[in-house]
Amino acid sequence: MNTDWSVITGFLPELLDGAEMTLYITLVGLAGGMAVGVVAGLMRAYGHWTLNYVAMAYIELIRGTPIVVQVMFLYFALPVLASIRIDPLTAAMIAIVVNAGAYIAEIVRGALQSISRGLAEAGLALGLPRWKVLVYIVGPLAFRRLIPPLGNQCIVSLKDTSLFIVIGVSELTRTGQEIMAANFRAVEIWTAIAAIYLIMTGTLTLLLRVIERRLRIL
Amino acid sequence: MSIIQFRGVSKHFDELRVLDEVDLSIEQGEVVVLIGPSGSGKSTLLRCINGLEQITGGDLRVDDISVLAGNARLREIRQEAGMVFQQFNLFPQLTALQNVAFGPRHVRGKSRREAEEIGLELLDKVGLKERAHHYPAELSGGQQQRVAIARALAVRPKVMLFDEPTSALDPELKQEVLNVMRNLAEEGMTMVVVTHEMAFARQVGSRLIFMEHGKIAVDGDPCEMLCNPTNPRLKDFLRHVH
Repeated sequence: MNTDWSVITGFLPELLDGAEMTLYITLVGLAGGMAVGVVAGLMRAYGHWTLNYVAMAYIELIRGTPIVVQVMFLYFALPVLASIRIDPLTAAMIAIVVNAGAYIAEIVRGALQSISRGLAEAGLALGLPRWKVLVYIVGPLAFRRLIPPLGNQCIVSLKDTSLFIVIGVSELTRTGQEIMAANFRAVEIWTAIAAIYLIMTGTLTLLLRVIERRLRIL
Repeated sequence: MSIIQFRGVSKHFDELRVLDEVDLSIEQGEVVVLIGPSGSGKSTLLRCINGLEQITGGDLRVDDISVLAGNARLREIRQEAGMVFQQFNLFPQLTALQNVAFGPRHVRGKSRREAEEIGLELLDKVGLKERAHHYPAELSGGQQQRVAIARALAVRPKVMLFDEPTSALDPELKQEVLNVMRNLAEEGMTMVVVTHEMAFARQVGSRLIFMEHGKIAVDGDPCEMLCNPTNPRLKDFLRHVH
């Protein structure tokens, strides 16, 4: 076997550009996904039955289909169906928002419903309106239980961006693929890419551990 | 005018009839003790008073406000009727003081400083001023329940509802909670207490109600009812409790 690790240094700037794109898609996608997930999760946990069913239909639709199919649909089918053209980067970000949103909705619902009913009753019995019970009592407690599964979803979403290779977004995996196609240095390039992903997910894990340590889980 | 007035109150869970056309008037200053076998409807009766359970028939008025008058009026009722739970239900992310100051701050709209003053005053009343900055997990069960009583009192209710307040406590911790309740009764607080503590019922209660199958079976003077029970079912029940 003939490997030459020094080729990596030459391609490092390109790979780092790819990593930057990966991070950008992940951050924008997760920010949107958390917003969508909190709203859908609240609808599932407290919504009137119509809202509950709307949220449930959304979650089932997204969890039941692969993210590659979702992004292909956004990028290739939407222009045909509704004459909406979007560039690959936008399609990629929307795919993460929609996909992570569905999973985060279930995380949020689970966290809210894991808080003992008695605590909400204690708040209501004091004469608080329902929204204050949510904001001051159930919300802060549920937030602590949200962190571990939410961290999981952040890591999954970051890695899911590699699937956007199929619509040609120049994120990390696509960049590597293109370099590989020119020099056939499979071992060196894919090792470097895996290492860069590990560094990104490792940093996320560390960050989460710090947050968890700051918030006592109750 | 009675502070609490049940008029033909029923509560059904689907087919199950938990309260069956209950009529009951409670006057200011009374200490009403509710006893009865499990499933007789005593906890449900208590939880209907502050609307944690919704009545399905009749009318129930607290301080002349109907529990059916909508959410805003129901919140007024809840501010007039403080509740203490079997499982304490203290907010675990808040200290004892923050728990007690919570009602004044977020329900009565007091400033943070005023709320803390009220909180300290009430913690002092239940003998836990020196535990003000401890979290619930750092307190014993008896201490937690005393904080819970202080938390309910801090909203300045006219009535206090107790739902088996000592049932989750070890025998040696029950007494400190019962003592706080006894002091409260001596100050003239109107109280409705679901309990199995017959000694408390006899010594502190001004009125005893024995419930059975969702109805009030006996309603009378605690001493008479406990010392010379005439109702055969009550007699039977008391034999099992002692």
